[in-house]
Amino acid sequence: ITTSNFYKSTSDLRLATAAIYAQPWFDWNNFPLLGIGDIMAGNMLQPYNSGLVQFTTFSITSDNTYLTQAWQGFYIIVAHCNVNIKAINTQLPDSVSAAGKNGALGELRFLRATAYYHLAMLWGAVPIIEDNDKLIANPLVPRNKLTDVYRFIINDLRFAAANLPKSDQAGRVTTWSAQGMLAKVYLTRAGLGQSGTRNQTDLDSAAYFAGNVCNTSGLALLPSYYNLFRTQYNDNSESLFAFQWAPGVGYGQGNDIQAQFAPSSSIVPGAGWGGAIGPTIDLANLYTKQDSIRRKATFMLTGDYYPELNAAGGGYTATGCNVKKHIVGTPADNNSPTMDRWSSIEHNTVLRLADVYLIYAEALMGNNSSTVNGQALQYFNAVRTRAGVDPVTILTPDILMKERRIELAFEGQYWFDLVRLSYYNPQAAIASINGQTREQFTYNPGTGVSTIVPSNLIITPATAATFTLPIPANDQTADPKLLQAPVAYY
Amino acid sequence: QIHRITGTIISAEDSKPMPGVSIKVSGATTGTVSLTDGTYSIMAKSTDVLIFSFISYTSQQIYVGSSNSIDVKMSQSTSNLNEVVVIGYGNSKRKDLTGSISSVSATNIVEAHPTTIDQALQGRVAGVVVQQVSGQPGGDVNIQIRGIGGFTNAPPLYVIDGVQIPPNVQSPIPGEGSNPLSTINPSDIASIDILKDASATAIYGSQASNGVVIITTKKGVMGPPLISYDGYAGEQSLSKYYDVMNLQQYATFMNEKAAIIGYDLRPQFANPQYLGTGTDWQKALYRTAPEENHNISISGGDARTKYFLSGTYFSQEGIALGSDFKRTTLKVNIDNKTTNWLKIGTNLAFAHVAENVATTNTGVILQALNQTPDVEVKNPDGTWGGNDPNIYGAYGANPFALASIVTDFKSRYQLIGNAYAEIQFTKDLTLRNEVSGNFDFATEDYFDPTYTMGAYTNTTNTGTSTSAQNFYNSITNYLTYSHFFNKSKLWFSATAGHEAQKVNGSTVSATRTNFVSNNVTTISSGDPTTALNSGIKSDGALEAYFGRANLTFDDKYTLTGTIRRDGTSKIDVTNRWNTSYSGAFAWKLNNEAFLKDVKAIDDLKLRLSYGLVNNQNIAEYAYGSTLTTVATGLSGNSQLTSTLGNPDIKWETTKEYNLGLDASVLNNRITFTGDVYYRKTDNLLLSLTEPYYSGTYAAGGYSPGAILAPYVNIGSVSNKGIEFSIATTNIKSKDFNWRTNLIYSQNKNTVLALSPGTPAIYGTYTKTIVGRSIGEFYGYQTLGLYKDAADFAKYPAVWQNGSGPIPITPGSGGVWVGDVIYKDNNKDGKIDANDETFLGSPLPKFQYGINNTFNYKNFDLTVFMTGEYGNKVFNQIGVNGSDPNQNFGYFASVANYARIGLINPSGSASDINNVYITNPSTKITRISQSSGDQNTIFSDRYIEDGSFLKCKSIALGYNFSQSVLSKLHLRSLRIYANVTNVFTITKYTGYDPEIGSWNPLAAGIDNGYYAQPRVISIGANISLNN
Repeated sequence: ITTSNFYKSTSDLRLATAAIYAQPWFDWNNFPLLGIGDIMAGNMLQPYNSGLVQFTTFSITSDNTYLTQAWQGFYIIVAHCNVNIKAINTQLPDSVSAAGKNGALGELRFLRATAYYHLAMLWGAVPIIEDNDKLIANPLVPRNKLTDVYRFIINDLRFAAANLPKSDQAGRVTTWSAQGMLAKVYLTRAGLGQSGTRNQTDLDSAAYFAGNVCNTSGLALLPSYYNLFRTQYNDNSESLFAFQWAPGVGYGQGNDIQAQFAPSSSIVPGAGWGGAIGPTIDLANLYTKQDSIRRKATFMLTGDYYPELNAAGGGYTATGCNVKKHIVGTPADNNSPTMDRWSSIEHNTVLRLADVYLIYAEALMGNNSSTVNGQALQYFNAVRTRAGVDPVTILTPDILMKERRIELAFEGQYWFDLVRLSYYNPQAAIASINGQTREQFTYNPGTGVSTIVPSNLIITPATAATFTLPIPANDQTADPKLLQAPVAYY
Repeated sequence: QIHRITGTIISAEDSKPMPGVSIKVSGATTGTVSLTDGTYSIMAKSTDVLIFSFISYTSQQIYVGSSNSIDVKMSQSTSNLNEVVVIGYGNSKRKDLTGSISSVSATNIVEAHPTTIDQALQGRVAGVVVQQVSGQPGGDVNIQIRGIGGFTNAPPLYVIDGVQIPPNVQSPIPGEGSNPLSTINPSDIASIDILKDASATAIYGSQASNGVVIITTKKGVMGPPLISYDGYAGEQSLSKYYDVMNLQQYATFMNEKAAIIGYDLRPQFANPQYLGTGTDWQKALYRTAPEENHNISISGGDARTKYFLSGTYFSQEGIALGSDFKRTTLKVNIDNKTTNWLKIGTNLAFAHVAENVATTNTGVILQALNQTPDVEVKNPDGTWGGNDPNIYGAYGANPFALASIVTDFKSRYQLIGNAYAEIQFTKDLTLRNEVSGNFDFATEDYFDPTYTMGAYTNTTNTGTSTSAQNFYNSITNYLTYSHFFNKSKLWFSATAGHEAQKVNGSTVSATRTNFVSNNVTTISSGDPTTALNSGIKSDGALEAYFGRANLTFDDKYTLTGTIRRDGTSKIDVTNRWNTSYSGAFAWKLNNEAFLKDVKAIDDLKLRLSYGLVNNQNIAEYAYGSTLTTVATGLSGNSQLTSTLGNPDIKWETTKEYNLGLDASVLNNRITFTGDVYYRKTDNLLLSLTEPYYSGTYAAGGYSPGAILAPYVNIGSVSNKGIEFSIATTNIKSKDFNWRTNLIYSQNKNTVLALSPGTPAIYGTYTKTIVGRSIGEFYGYQTLGLYKDAADFAKYPAVWQNGSGPIPITPGSGGVWVGDVIYKDNNKDGKIDANDETFLGSPLPKFQYGINNTFNYKNFDLTVFMTGEYGNKVFNQIGVNGSDPNQNFGYFASVANYARIGLINPSGSASDINNVYITNPSTKITRISQSSGDQNTIFSDRYIEDGSFLKCKSIALGYNFSQSVLSKLHLRSLRIYANVTNVFTITKYTGYDPEIGSWNPLAAGIDNGYYAQPRVISIGANISLNN
């Protein structure tokens, strides 16, 4: 099947867009998602894998495998979106309705914007590739200014927000996905180039789009936080954008987080290489006793019992402090016979409603040092009460940041929150990181005492430069223009 | 006035009567054959010419005149000048050729007992490099005619009895070292003609830029039925083993290693002297393996109909466990002269090949060198041996067990068929219509059972069943006109025709896991809920118009012009059609007046040619983007872009100049053919390596989810070379004859241009730049090991990425005595990527073959040697085997690892000024689990000289004399003994320096190569009396 004979109907377009919800995200999903999103953020640690250790110690070299994989992975998404957008714009017969066409373009532009959002957050100024065919004649391109990258992202998302439907097949993005993402991007851009305070116009836009999602989408939080991460609840009403992993697809094609991060092969047949990976004491200490639902759904403490993992074998009792989120169990546990170690059917979310609730609260708080805004408190507390923790009566940036870290821990989000903070208040972001205890611990279920296990890793203190990753060595070598100052795209 | 002519035909060599000689009146359809006593009788006019012919004897044409009795002496042909050469859509006599064509005869093809026909060409043809890609029975062979014409695999076009097997065609289920030509039975081949220069290949246009190999199979000849049996049986074995540590050596070494690194001391190794030799995994995996071949053929015919029928059974067990190859073939051909103006015929070859390819699929050849001698093949309790789960380090498979229990069985049925009708409109004008087909069906059954080999386990069994088919059809029609213009002494011939080809392929594959039993492996026995399946369909078409004209004046000057216009579905409509052409000139100097009287010169011909041919051997649909089906959790299946097209791609074109000389002197005792050529290929296609931000990966790479990068016309490459062959009859006497054939080829490959933006093309271990040959090794140079503090003052250490040099310390991450010294090529005081340099080419500088044939009375002896010079091999096995710090098996040489001594025994062991290497001549690095020096990075330490001289075969035969034969009622009987791969003279330390590769950017890499066996066999050729 070729680009010139494939795009004939709306259902063809649906097949083409569906493909970009899963496999091409493999590169980002398998290690970098947690390696950058949580290990670098200080939530998680793997003291033996030298590539991952670099994220803990802030000594990331430009040939770091996961760094390279992340960069490559996002640009793979960009390429797939570009090729499809071009084909739809040039090959599609008139018989396809405008709604069908624009809906597909909306999905593709949402996906492309999401990839560029990650690129912008991690590397700052990056090349904007909009037509991959142009690289044939002219493969070496410069970086583009970060402000232009954000403008490009917002253009894509505004198109998506305007053209995506209000509801669709479970798992597909809707206008609410796009508006939630827009809110996040506006909230991020609000701090770009600012010092101390954020740009009020962008904050207002963030509040506007987040408010739409909160108030008019009709979507609601899933009642159980724990169930959010069980495959039986894949693509639930809270999910705004989740990877649509399929089972039985083989290495490189599916979701292998479970294999890489699960502590035992009794949970993942033939795999479970994550015995050395666990939460930091810094993260663990944030959870109050009351916050046990979220804690237990995020990581295991020695002695924790999970009846649903390897249920046929009598469940799983944790023998150490390890990752739980993304660990969904055996094929039988998930009623998915073809699921294997390379292909967990967990549809892990990139954007979920609770995230947008917190974004809404943050945008409403804006540049104030605290807020008692009713809507802000309402949505913020919705997240807390769902998790079984007491509501708050006042919001401050610190409370909000901590809530985001707990609520979204091990979902690859916290590093991005730190980068967002670093845009307008780098000192606060640096201090927050340098104040962390980036160490693993053992837990004694009898006494409830946690004891730090020193990793003896030498951590380079964070600086303002820490928030921009080095461009992968391969591309630095291949394209010397990447080392020059970024140029305007618009 | 018709009258009866009688006579006796005898052999000029031994004056014995010759039965079976064909006698024909020139231009007539009738004929006869001589009887057992050599006599014949035929009706003819006094103006007729009688033609006497017999295989491998020089034909004679005798004018009848008034005589009623004509006796004839037939001599064995020593000259190949009258030999008929297949030139593509026609034949020519060698003496009339203008192009460069080499031929290999049936005798030479079977001499080295090849499993597949392509092996038979090694060392036989000047200008043709043949390298075995895998020594697995029926394994792949890489053939290059006149150098590498591209950055990707560029094999020749094969034409088997008019059926084209396009370059790069695969068996329906490719992979695992299998050879697409494995179904063709070498004993059915009558001759192989190799078209080399553009003058010869242009008639095949867009498929011929890397040469054409034309294979002609045996046909019936006029005469009484000839019933023959040829058979041999032999034993194969591995002729060379790596010297690896036995258990005692291993235990001793591991004790020393544990003492140095401070852990992994194994109590069972406490007293190595009491241990046995342990398991020799090479001996366990390799075996003495039988092979046998039986071929029966019946042929014959009369003036109207000729037939040939043959059946062959060939069976070869692999020398490595888990591989074998069986082939059964049946061949039929019939040629019928239906009427005076019509000839029809058909040629059908059925073959079945059954192969076990588990050896290659499971990678056990490499694992046999990795596994340690303390592991048993089988434990006393009958379970498979394996690594102790409690030891430090990695666990390897039990290669013997793996090769025994993993099933990978391929079965292939192929029918190659061709039918023709030839209509003779006038004496000069003929129309030939041919339909050809190649129907290729294959299945593969793979089963990986559950097993436990110590710590190495597989808990889920998996089975895959694949079924595939390829169909090729073609229709070819061409007119041939030839006329001799008496007055002007001008001979003119021309051919013009049309050809249409169509190919279709499809593959279906099913996989399941969780089979109830490891013994019930039918796919339906797997857990149905785990079922996965996949399929591929492909099709393509080619259409062409072609023509050739030949003009010969006075048997002195010959001009040939060829043109062909091809259209292919592989190229976008705008560039779809293209033209190939060539022109050639030949000058027969020996027919000039000034040489006519020089008796010593039998033949002297100068050839000159130029032409342009194209290459459609490129990825399908490279001009457009394609999508594949991938699974998602969203909609089940979805369509993902898999390749990016480049609508602007153009054909690869090759321009070739050729100058050749054919000479035959001293009554054809010495014949010489030599050519010099220059071949330039432009617009070479390669899937472009772009930066990662393109979201693409280059062909041959691996990047899940990424898009295959577009093909672009990236550069041009030249091949220039000299090639010649000399055949001499050194001694010719009544009882003793000695003939020698020598071939020599030398080719220089140079990259002339790469597109802007692509300064170099990188393979894993190679770099290709303008001005050098394709795929040269690229890495660090080394200067031995650091021996003492003085060396550290002289030679800088490796730099860490982006920071300073690694510290000089025996501790973690440091460099110390006993680590590798890398050469600071740019003299900037640090070792980094800028110090990498070219380390040699895997391409041989020249290649040669020498075949000597001796006949003494009834004995014949053939000694065939072939060699290559100047090629480099990367011994990747050596990297692992000679590294004291890996955790698998070791070469015995590792016992001599760099030992660190103290200058002042009471001084510090971590003071660089107090340490030295006590065995400074060693090449093995120190023991250290934490060396920061990258001792095993790609460097010249593992690049070895791959030059070799191989005695490919020695065959000794005995022909029983007529007196014995008549008692046995046999027509002929020869028995022989044969040894192939007798010995190899080489400096290479691995199994075999002959490392073939399909990928020019990754050639010459020995990573668990399946070595070619030494075979000792005996056989017999028997023909029955009628």
